[in-house]
Amino acid sequence: MYKWFLAWRYLHTKLIAFFAVCAVALCVFMVLVAMSVMGGFVDKVRERSRGLLSDVIVEAGTMQGFPYYQKFIDVLMSDHRDVVQIATPTIVAYGILRVPDTTLTRPADVRGIKLDEYVQVNTFGQGFHYDRYYPGTTHLGLQRQPFAGFDADGALTLPPDHVKANEKWRRAETDPKAIADYDAEPFRLRGSSEGGDRIFDVDSTDIRAVYGGDAFPGVIVGCDMINERTREGGYKRWDPRGIRMTLTTIAITASGNLTGEAPVSIPLRLADDSHTGVYEVDVKAVYVDFDMLQKKLGMNAMPRGDGTFIQARAKQIIIRLHEGIELNAGADEIRTAWTEFLAALPVQLDLNDERSLGFVRVSTWEEMQSTFIGAVEKEKILMMVILGVISIVAIVLIGCVFYMIVEKKTRDIGVLKALGASGTGIAGIFITYAAGVGAAGSILGAGFGALFVHYINEIQALLERVHPQLRVWNPEIYSFDRIPNVVKPDDVITIVLVAITAAVIGATIPAIIAGRVWPVKALRYE
Amino acid sequence: MSKYLLHARGIHKSYQMGRVSVRVLQGASLDLRNGEFLVVMGASGCGKSTLLHILGGLDTPDRGTLEFDRQDVFTASDAWRRTYRSLSVGFIFQFYHLLPECTVLENVMMPRLVKASAMQWLLGGAKRTARRDASAMLDRVGLAERLQHRPNELSGGERQRVAIARALINGPRLLLADEPTGNLDAAMGEEILRLLVELNRGGQTIVMVTHDPKVASHAHRRLHIRAGVIEEAKARNGARPER
Ligand SMILES: Nc1ncnc2c1ncn2[C@@H]1O[C@H](COP(=O)(O)OP(=O)(O)OP(=O)(O)O)[C@@H](O)[C@H]1O
Ligand SMILES: [Mg+2]
Repeated sequence: MYKWFLAWRYLHTKLIAFFAVCAVALCVFMVLVAMSVMGGFVDKVRERSRGLLSDVIVEAGTMQGFPYYQKFIDVLMSDHRDVVQIATPTIVAYGILRVPDTTLTRPADVRGIKLDEYVQVNTFGQGFHYDRYYPGTTHLGLQRQPFAGFDADGALTLPPDHVKANEKWRRAETDPKAIADYDAEPFRLRGSSEGGDRIFDVDSTDIRAVYGGDAFPGVIVGCDMINERTREGGYKRWDPRGIRMTLTTIAITASGNLTGEAPVSIPLRLADDSHTGVYEVDVKAVYVDFDMLQKKLGMNAMPRGDGTFIQARAKQIIIRLHEGIELNAGADEIRTAWTEFLAALPVQLDLNDERSLGFVRVSTWEEMQSTFIGAVEKEKILMMVILGVISIVAIVLIGCVFYMIVEKKTRDIGVLKALGASGTGIAGIFITYAAGVGAAGSILGAGFGALFVHYINEIQALLERVHPQLRVWNPEIYSFDRIPNVVKPDDVITIVLVAITAAVIGATIPAIIAGRVWPVKALRYE
Repeated sequence: MSKYLLHARGIHKSYQMGRVSVRVLQGASLDLRNGEFLVVMGASGCGKSTLLHILGGLDTPDRGTLEFDRQDVFTASDAWRRTYRSLSVGFIFQFYHLLPECTVLENVMMPRLVKASAMQWLLGGAKRTARRDASAMLDRVGLAERLQHRPNELSGGERQRVAIARALINGPRLLLADEPTGNLDAAMGEEILRLLVELNRGGQTIVMVTHDPKVASHAHRRLHIRAGVIEEAKARNGARPER
């Protein structure tokens, strides 16, 4: 009726309505951006945590690890095949990584992995750099350094296996830009002062493109450890593929004693670098072969002299469940399996083994990360409280704006009443008007908010160009190199509904005042 | 149809100004015949507008009764009084009181729209007939060419004609005019007056407040408010009600 008609008229003829719409739009914009970034952050933390770990982790509570891990894996892979897709052991240690040629040193979280299994339990394998362009060339076994050199025609090229692997990549790659970028500059030679995307060394004694130097085990290094992050989110590399590195670490005996010997120094060759996207991981993670590390740390099986063996130890068993198996149900089954496994161990355990096994815990990836995820989720709740306050501010603001509108329109309200309009009818005009303001404002705000969130990284880059201090998102603090930029439709709908409700609530008191206007008083004077 | 449209009996109205009570009407009585053109005169501040507002159901008296077509206006329900205001009475003000956001046509349609239910609005019929009737009414007051103009684009006389069209769209039996020419120059005032007289010739009952004796001379009957009561003034010219 006339309510809608007049509300519509007021909405597009009154400047003051524009202010109210802007106020709502700003609030919606703010809330949407905050919610999307915070929510996206939590989601990313969860997703990445899961990608880093796997579904279920059987972990030693001590640094020296626990024995009989392989036996348990065998049990899982035979008796629990319907739940467990794959299980793989890892060793965790601490050490120092050094590049002898440049004398660069870095603290390192060392992880001994069975690469072929490890890439199946989580997303680790998706973050390799060289393996993308030369698929199949990254491994952790003994390897020599691939050198760039000249082919028969005198053109600069790479060893034949690299060339072949690169052809394979080209055929499979779906992103034409990646191929174009590669062709623009396939690789750089070591020593380029600017760094590059792919770096290879040349052999000083052989001009051909061949492998050279001594063979050492391979190492995969977190990409923030040796490379420089560019503003665009990529990396610049200086160290050539296959460069020698040494990893120094400390062995711990089954009883948790340091051996007292000099720290173990392991010569390695850079096989690849890994990008998990979590800065804390990428700045210090070093991956080497499980068996090699186990031996170097003295965690492998060793004869005692009396005919018995000290058991080989691992730090974790990482387990991937089959698709569709509920996480907690799977973890429960593995927990039960572990208890049964311990009870059924046929051998007499020595004291060290018994203790280490007692410290073993079975957790889901969520439980492992719960303190961190919990903290982030608390932050989200705090955020919601602040947003609630913002909503109240919006309500008050709308209330003020509408009070002013009602004041200004008192005479018109009197006229309408003289024409027979009822108090509720008049109040209805302003409620409808407020709902219109809320709808217009929230759609505007949600639109700009969604755009802003979508281009938030580009905006950040722009701001940073204006002044480096304007860089708000620091990957060293927030773990992720890019700001989360996904807008969830659910969030948008919720915010829009809340905004419209807030606008209506804000306008209620002015609307009631309007409904009570006494026509005679309103009409008496010009 | 009865001879009388409206009876006011012993209307009292006073305003509280802090401690002091300003007594405006003190027992005003009035009988209004169907088809009559009545003029109310009196000194400024004597209560002419107050009386008109009470007759139109916009204000309530402290004491006294108002009977419209044998129905007591002030003992009836709020809803009845709203219908009374919207259907039985048309009001014209000195300062026009048009809605500035709406076009001339929409202003005239407004009483119809206020009356229409949501259902009628949705079905679209209400708006269509309102538009048709409003343009017909504007044609009658000579503003057929100005339908899409805003009130602030019109002269005072034109605005008052829009207000008259608005007052008449629901076909009220009583037209109340509070100094409709008070804000206009002589020529424009004359024009408005001619329109009112013409309406009255067509049978419209009119009560008009004015200061101007010349304006008053067009009426059948003149009343004076003095000391809160209504007195009949002697007709100066020969104008008489036809019935
Ligand atoms: N809301 C009010 N509060 C207090 N006093 C009021 C109020 N409305 C009217 N009055 C007083 O009542 C008296 C009558 O007012 P009213 O407007 O009816 O006079 P009027 O005869 O129409 O005067 P005018 O010719 O100037 O229009 C005036 O003295 C006025 O001050
Ligand atoms: Mg007056």
